[in-house]
Amino acid sequence: MLPPLFAFGWIGLPMLGWLAAAAAPILIHLWSRRRYRETSWAAMEYLLAAMRQRSRRIRFEQWLLLLVRTLLIMLVVLGVAEPYLESAGLAFAPGGRVHRVLVFDGSYSMACKPGDKSRFDRAKELARRLVDEGSDGDAFTLVLMSALPRTIVGSGGVKPATILQEIDSMQCPHAGGNLPATVSAVRRLVAEVGRDNPRLTRHEVYFLTDLHRATWGQKLLEPVRAEFLQQTRELAKAASLVVVDVGQPVTENLAITSVEATESPVTVGRAASFTVRLQNFGPRSLDRQPVEFFVDGRRIERKDVQVLAGGSASVGFSYRFETPGDHAVEARAVGDVLEVDNRRFLAVPVRQTVQTLCIDGRPSGGSLRGAADYLAVALQAGQKGSRAEIKVDVAPESALMERALASYDCVFLCNVAQLTASEARVIDRYLQGGGSVIVLLGDRVLADNYNRELGLAAGQAADQPPRDGAKVEAEQGRAGGLHLLPARIGTLVDRPQHRLDPLGYRHPIVQAFRGRGQTSLLTTPVFKHYRLEVRAGAAAAVVLALADGEPLVVEQPVHRGRVVLIGTSAEPAWTALPLWPSFVPLVHEIVAYCMSGELRRQNLTVGEPLDALPTLPTVAGSLVVQSPDGRRQAAPARTVGECPAVSFSDTSQSGIYVVENGTRPERKSLFAVNVDTAESDLTQTDVQELRSRLWPGVPFTYRTSSRGASLDAACAVLREDARFHIGLLYAALVLLLGETWLGWKMGYCR
Amino acid sequence: MHETPERLLDPEMLARLQGLPLRARLMVEGYAAGVHRSPFHGFSVEFAEHREYAPGDDLRYLDWKVLGRTDKYYLKQFEEETNLVCHLLLDTSESMRYRSNVATESKLDYARRAAAALAYLVLHQQDSVGLITFDSEVRKLIRAGSNPSRLNDILHVMADAPAERKTALAPIFHDVAKRLKRRGIVIVLSDLFDDVDSIIAGLKHLRHHRHEVVLMHVLDPAELDFPFDSVTLFRGMEGMSDVLADPPALRRAYLAEFGSYRHRLQSGCRGLAVDYVPMRTDRSLEVTLSSYLASRQ
Repeated sequence: MLPPLFAFGWIGLPMLGWLAAAAAPILIHLWSRRRYRETSWAAMEYLLAAMRQRSRRIRFEQWLLLLVRTLLIMLVVLGVAEPYLESAGLAFAPGGRVHRVLVFDGSYSMACKPGDKSRFDRAKELARRLVDEGSDGDAFTLVLMSALPRTIVGSGGVKPATILQEIDSMQCPHAGGNLPATVSAVRRLVAEVGRDNPRLTRHEVYFLTDLHRATWGQKLLEPVRAEFLQQTRELAKAASLVVVDVGQPVTENLAITSVEATESPVTVGRAASFTVRLQNFGPRSLDRQPVEFFVDGRRIERKDVQVLAGGSASVGFSYRFETPGDHAVEARAVGDVLEVDNRRFLAVPVRQTVQTLCIDGRPSGGSLRGAADYLAVALQAGQKGSRAEIKVDVAPESALMERALASYDCVFLCNVAQLTASEARVIDRYLQGGGSVIVLLGDRVLADNYNRELGLAAGQAADQPPRDGAKVEAEQGRAGGLHLLPARIGTLVDRPQHRLDPLGYRHPIVQAFRGRGQTSLLTTPVFKHYRLEVRAGAAAAVVLALADGEPLVVEQPVHRGRVVLIGTSAEPAWTALPLWPSFVPLVHEIVAYCMSGELRRQNLTVGEPLDALPTLPTVAGSLVVQSPDGRRQAAPARTVGECPAVSFSDTSQSGIYVVENGTRPERKSLFAVNVDTAESDLTQTDVQELRSRLWPGVPFTYRTSSRGASLDAACAVLREDARFHIGLLYAALVLLLGETWLGWKMGYCR
Repeated sequence: MHETPERLLDPEMLARLQGLPLRARLMVEGYAAGVHRSPFHGFSVEFAEHREYAPGDDLRYLDWKVLGRTDKYYLKQFEEETNLVCHLLLDTSESMRYRSNVATESKLDYARRAAAALAYLVLHQQDSVGLITFDSEVRKLIRAGSNPSRLNDILHVMADAPAERKTALAPIFHDVAKRLKRRGIVIVLSDLFDDVDSIIAGLKHLRHHRHEVVLMHVLDPAELDFPFDSVTLFRGMEGMSDVLADPPALRRAYLAEFGSYRHRLQSGCRGLAVDYVPMRTDRSLEVTLSSYLASRQ
């Protein structure tokens, strides 16, 4: 559908009545023919000759002059009436006031700064001019298009001065832009403001954007796309859409895409390795790109790395932490037009040791008699510098209720016969606090008890779909099922198998075994095991399977923690695994994987809320969150299970967020918030793609002065759109000059 | 409108013009000896030149003294001097009555004053002057004479001349050429609103009779500049129809037409050795006449 060509609205509609004045030149002409002076004339022959010669031309010139004069008056009247392009089929608005929605693209590519001003600064400048040049009675609302669209000024009655203050205080977030959500929010906003302010009869929506492909060229799945298109069309019916491109043709950009700790957990006194990955999005290779490595704000090392055009590169750093607690690691690549993605942060929780608790379901009283004994030996094996130090407490079943589980990083249940409902709730709270539970079965295990207390609710079949978290929370303690186990424990299978299937080493726990045949993981004999029934569609992942395809090790995230279910025991009578060389690395990989959740919780992407506070003791009252830009904000503290938590969602800036307890400022918890580097590829979409693919059939005006033009030119382009009448007045001026010239040419001026 | 004869002569102007006599450029025929050249050799005592004898020459004009002294045959030649006969032709057609707002007098009044001044000058230098008033035909004729009372007759005729009829210049010129027996100066005072070719033909006839012709083209400044700036109903004179016109739109074309007419007239006069003297009625008559007379000296 094409937009109507001549769909105009008029701000000063009553002024159009003056169009009748356009008839004045014709009337004056006719009137002048009726009023004339008289004179005798002797040289009549020459006058008649002149008339014969010029009569046709005179008639043409007089009509032309009349036309010019009529047009001149019409243009002046039309200009004063201030027309605007009503390409959206807007309701006619006599004397209406304008509601302008200024939508700032908040994706971090807007922070690109090729010159003295960033794209976001240019957008702000344009917005300021729009507000400045608005008429009395116009209303302005501000929306920031970020990962979650934010309405900064949503009421139509705010004074322009306040709007300008809000614009000045706006900062470009470091997130991506969510166009569908923004369009939906703006549509609602237009409807609300129009309803609350009936005098605002016209709405204009200005998207001040760089048309970054990640935001404007994203591929949406069909149901989402159809909904988005529908929302946009409805918005276009209610308001005139103007897309203002403030971007510049820049494609060169380097980004640090990740900083990762090579090993987890990181403990004091042991060198920790970090890998920094860089991606060159530009067409030019960078031969000696410097990369700096910082720990707690102190520069540790600098290395140069070659990054080919369009390629990626990695560089490693190592550092030995001397004190426990959270530490801030940062990698920094020096210099390009987009600073935001040149820095990447990592909050590293450094522990003195890793604390584990082994609940022994059948204490043997001697060495290497039970599963817990083998497990403890494996956990503590090889701790002379090669691995993190793991402390193991072996305790009987009663320790579940007696000890504070929160002080342990992992809890192993080794051949524990059964669990009471109270013990199950303790485990549940422990998982809520971020702990991990590894369950090893055995001959004492009562599968039904496990399934009842830790598994599915009574009567629920294994192949039924999982219930959502809220319902599970609500039913906790009532139906008896806590959904902690990743699989239902089935029948005991007493049939030896001599091979394990790593399932392509896809799971992180077994990835370390890829290509390491000497560990003999794949040839581990398993004599007895429980059949593990994994629910279809569940979050559980099979880590390791038996040769016949039955799962042997299954894990799933539960709350903030993780549960790993091993379908056999750590006793030689069940499997040779405890005696096999692969047992020690497997146990350590399970511990590392379980503890990696903590690292993930402290390392977020822009827009994700801060959650648990593992390094702070349980606190009451408020916490203080210090943002990367130095702002300090109070945030209410709460307790989730046995773990303190904070409710803080304003993570629009990338960097390190420091959470402090007001009463004990020395105890800090660090969070690293990084950008999603999908925005780092500065490729822009173009208006043809916008019209054909993103908004087919949606009427909108596209304005660009960005590509190489100055800010003044950009403002002029906006004014051209907002001040259409200026062009008419200029045309009237041209006609006025033309009329003077014609008059002179025809002899009316001497 | 009839003028009183006395008003046609301005003493101050005449006093200034007295130093500028109207001399004949060509040879004219007169009754009495005067300051003007005559085509008749031998009648005058004014020696002109010697010329070597050629067979067939009249021996009466042989200079015997030269023959006696030098034994060579030379003829004596004499140039006759005679009085000038000036014929004033005054156009009294209706178009001469036109006077625009920017002029102080009509073309006819201006022409009358010019004719009166010229008549006075001619009589004052002992020459003869006559007057013919005409429109489509000759209306009044005063034969040339040098008697001072002739001026009075001329003034009265001019003052009483009505301006009511159409012009027809060419027949008048032919008629006058037939009527004037002696060569002299014919001064035409007219707006010359007639066909240029016929005017030229009439002038040619006059020149054919060896008259020296001076064409004084009397025009109103409005006819030259067309200064009207609003819609005007032009009422035609001499039987022409009325025309409603927008002068600003027509000005350029009118001026082109009128300029072309004047140019053709001037070219025709130049070809016939006729003096063409443009006269604007908003310009001083004294200046116009004195400029012309001075140019003849």
